[in-house]
Amino acid sequence: MSGTSNLLNWILWMPILGVLGILVIPKAKAGVVRLWSLANTFITLGLTVKLWMGFDNALSGMQDAFTIKMPWIKQFHINYHLAVDGISMPMIILTSLLFFLCVLCSWKISKQVRGYYALLLFLQSAVYGVFLSMDFFLFYVYWEVMLIPMFFLIGIWGGENREYAAVKFFLYTFFGSILMLVGMIALYHATGGEADSFSLLALREHADKFIGMNVSLFGFDVPFDKLFFVFMFIGFAIKVPVFPFHTWLPHAHVQAPTAISVILAGVLLKMGTYGFLRIAFPIFPGATVYFSECIAVLGLINIIYGAFCAMAQTDVKKLIAYSSVSHMGFVMLGMAAMTSQGLNGAVLQMFNHGTSTAMMFLLIGILYERSHHRWIVRPDGSKGFGGLYTQLPVYSIVFIIAMFASMGLPGLSGFISEALIFLGIYSKYTTMTVIALLGLLIGAAYLLWMFKRMFFGEVVEECKSYEDMNAREIFYMTPLCVAVIVFGIWPSPILNIMKGSVNSLVVLLAKYQ
Amino acid sequence: MVLNYLANIGRFVPEITLIVTMVGLIFVEATYGDEEKGSSKGYLYATAYLGLLFTLVKLIGSLGDAPIAIYSNSLVIDPFSTMIKIIMVIGTAACIHLSRRSSDVYENLKGEFAIIAVGVLIGGMLLASANNMLTLYIGIETLSILSYVLASLKKNDDRSSEAGLKYALFGGISAGIMLFGMSHIFGVTGTIQFAGMLDKLKDLDTVQIAILMPSFLMFFAGIGYKIACVPFHMWAPDVYEGSPLPVTTFFSIVPKMAGMAVLLRVTMVFFSGDQNVLQMSWIATLSVVAALTMTVGNVSAIGQRSVKRMLAFSSISHAGMMMMGVLCISEIGTRAIVFYGITYLFMTLVAFYITSFVQDAYGNDHFERFNGLIHKHPLMAIFMLITMFSLSGLPPLSGFIAKFNIFSALIDKNYYVLAIIAGLNSVVALYYYLKIVKLMVFKDPESDEKIKGFGFTNQLVITALTVPVVMLGIFWDQVLVMANGAKIFIVQ
Repeated sequence: MSGTSNLLNWILWMPILGVLGILVIPKAKAGVVRLWSLANTFITLGLTVKLWMGFDNALSGMQDAFTIKMPWIKQFHINYHLAVDGISMPMIILTSLLFFLCVLCSWKISKQVRGYYALLLFLQSAVYGVFLSMDFFLFYVYWEVMLIPMFFLIGIWGGENREYAAVKFFLYTFFGSILMLVGMIALYHATGGEADSFSLLALREHADKFIGMNVSLFGFDVPFDKLFFVFMFIGFAIKVPVFPFHTWLPHAHVQAPTAISVILAGVLLKMGTYGFLRIAFPIFPGATVYFSECIAVLGLINIIYGAFCAMAQTDVKKLIAYSSVSHMGFVMLGMAAMTSQGLNGAVLQMFNHGTSTAMMFLLIGILYERSHHRWIVRPDGSKGFGGLYTQLPVYSIVFIIAMFASMGLPGLSGFISEALIFLGIYSKYTTMTVIALLGLLIGAAYLLWMFKRMFFGEVVEECKSYEDMNAREIFYMTPLCVAVIVFGIWPSPILNIMKGSVNSLVVLLAKYQ
Repeated sequence: MVLNYLANIGRFVPEITLIVTMVGLIFVEATYGDEEKGSSKGYLYATAYLGLLFTLVKLIGSLGDAPIAIYSNSLVIDPFSTMIKIIMVIGTAACIHLSRRSSDVYENLKGEFAIIAVGVLIGGMLLASANNMLTLYIGIETLSILSYVLASLKKNDDRSSEAGLKYALFGGISAGIMLFGMSHIFGVTGTIQFAGMLDKLKDLDTVQIAILMPSFLMFFAGIGYKIACVPFHMWAPDVYEGSPLPVTTFFSIVPKMAGMAVLLRVTMVFFSGDQNVLQMSWIATLSVVAALTMTVGNVSAIGQRSVKRMLAFSSISHAGMMMMGVLCISEIGTRAIVFYGITYLFMTLVAFYITSFVQDAYGNDHFERFNGLIHKHPLMAIFMLITMFSLSGLPPLSGFIAKFNIFSALIDKNYYVLAIIAGLNSVVALYYYLKIVKLMVFKDPESDEKIKGFGFTNQLVITALTVPVVMLGIFWDQVLVMANGAKIFIVQ
């Protein structure tokens, strides 16, 4: 079954090689550690590009040429099974790109440099693991392993209240994954514990069997597929985060260092929605259809609630954090549509939100390095920032691009994916579409209002001393700017990758509608 | 008859070795023991290690042997009991090593610790093999009476004496209750042999069931007390806290594993047959007790200030987790418990070893003493951190695999509610394990004083104990095969 190429192994383990290298470098050589990490992430990025070159857009399933499958635990038929398809490929590209940029944007970190970069690379490997695993057990292992570096990255290098945020993040996600674990083992036993019982691809074949089964819970018969769909749903929803499981997100974002916020919003949130598309939807198609309205409503709540929360924030990072909640709502809405446009839009939105929100967080990080605070309005009522436009022209232009991309202005990437989502959802839930469009309006409102308060008006005294973006900062913002603009005009490179896989999922779901 | 006994001795060598070791230890202590010089220590530990090593080799060698019931069916030597014995022997050896290093055991009492620990181990081994009520009772009493002495090993310390007294009182009462229950079981079935009882249990009338149900409950009370499950756990925290740290380590491994083994054997022997009222009530009791044990253990652990006490509560909750495997009454369940036992052994040892050295260096074992450990002893802190994550069940560490196996056994029997309760409990557990991680990594150290206990040898020992914690989480295929082989032999 294994393909001819070992590329996925290289991508998955390259960051671990980086970690091992860092452990060898002496403590005092912080500069070497930075360069080493940069080189490492650059190589991984190169490998990803190579993977992209070899990616066959015509295939709707897994890319067989890259599949790697080896037995791991024979007793439980657990395999070390790596593969990539159109849904995971955009996420891999996003991960490689963002980690490379994050190494650059953390250049100024001086506290325990070795530990920081080692954990960052460790996290990168775990993220690849989640996106590449086609074995449920392996997926689960990576899903959990990822929490450990995140916990330390927030807890050691975070803001004032970092410990609380780190613990809350850890416990929330762990809670969700425990439910997922129960579901995973239930699936294993439901298929009879035979060969491939943990394979995410083989489990799809059993979908019809799950629909007929019942589970006895406190003497009540509960349909198997609906119960475990809900379990998986909660597990993934905490990660997305879907209202009402979102409360860990603002804390984690505000406390995390810039690079980690970028990773968190850019990649980790997508794991939740990726989990839906990879596991919950194809394995429980019946339940997905059954609950599709609930998913749509939750998505809608995310959009509106997240937008209003964002509007109320005075901390600009928290504002962007809530805007993420709102934007992930669009992804949920697109998935709930279960039409070709809706799902394609959702996956594209996952990618586009990854780039645009990463830009926002990076920009806030740049500003924070100068101001050491993030208040739009300070708690005492005075202005935190003002007139930045005249002080930091380059910064302002990049900020405008990021903001408009995030807002979904035509010509920039956010527009395409949101338009696709609305196209997909309109025929199904017309009222919801209208309400969601209102969410778009609120989104524009809070972003423009924030921009007005920070960039226009009188120049606040301390803003006068800020320097504009330096070469390093411009360098790492450029790829994202290019991505946002190019994919706004010409989204087909990404759309072509995902189309085959997403449409086969749509066909699968259509059978149960 | 005599020949028969002699023929069986071959399978009884580990126990005999230990008895010889214990007597030998007493002689060594009596001959060379000198409070002033402490010169006997070298001989003493050499004897103890040699005896335990020989036992271990013997046990590992006999893992593949066919199961057999010896001495008129009073003992059964099967792969399962051998596996549990191996765990207990390793645990005892590690605890004796810890007692040698720890300043919590007075210098002049180190010899006694080794002697009594080997004695407890003998009781535990009898218990693991017990195949009739009498051996079971003798095993439990050997285990208990020596444990009381161990608990009050710090003679001059009020808390230690209190621990010993509490342990003895609780132990005495529960042994009495258990004996009372046993006598009724004997009354109904007319035999003390497990094999004979099994036949009798097959056809019972209503009256007999009415008598047997409370009797089995009382019987369970005695075992439940040994594994410290709710509601028989009241003694545990105080005893664990009052005892010297190596003793606490010992208590959370050997008596617990022995109790778990006997509980599993009793359950498998009596209740693995067709469904009947007795079986259902036994499973129901175990389910409620297991769920309560986990929850109470975990919730109580949250508020603790002393790491030792926290670990004591956490070991209660782990016992609850293992009981979940017992109540499945299946081969998967047995396998899960054996696997759990192996991983639990290493995790507990690492956690207690490190706590012990921290306590020796700073005078007590409050959480704050772990502050900034990673800046002072990075390697040790990372091992502690790995162990904490493993105890809370995070992959890819062995604690997760152990939990995974238990979950698998539960869900195989469709006990979803129990699986969810167990799952939610591990979230609670994660919270208090994270507390130590937080202090070690996020806080600055209180003082620059290094911990002397982390010498080269001890670091080596701790490393050797941590390696399985990690490796069993990644390469657990073969260990699972081994655990799978540890089947319980039911004598017909």
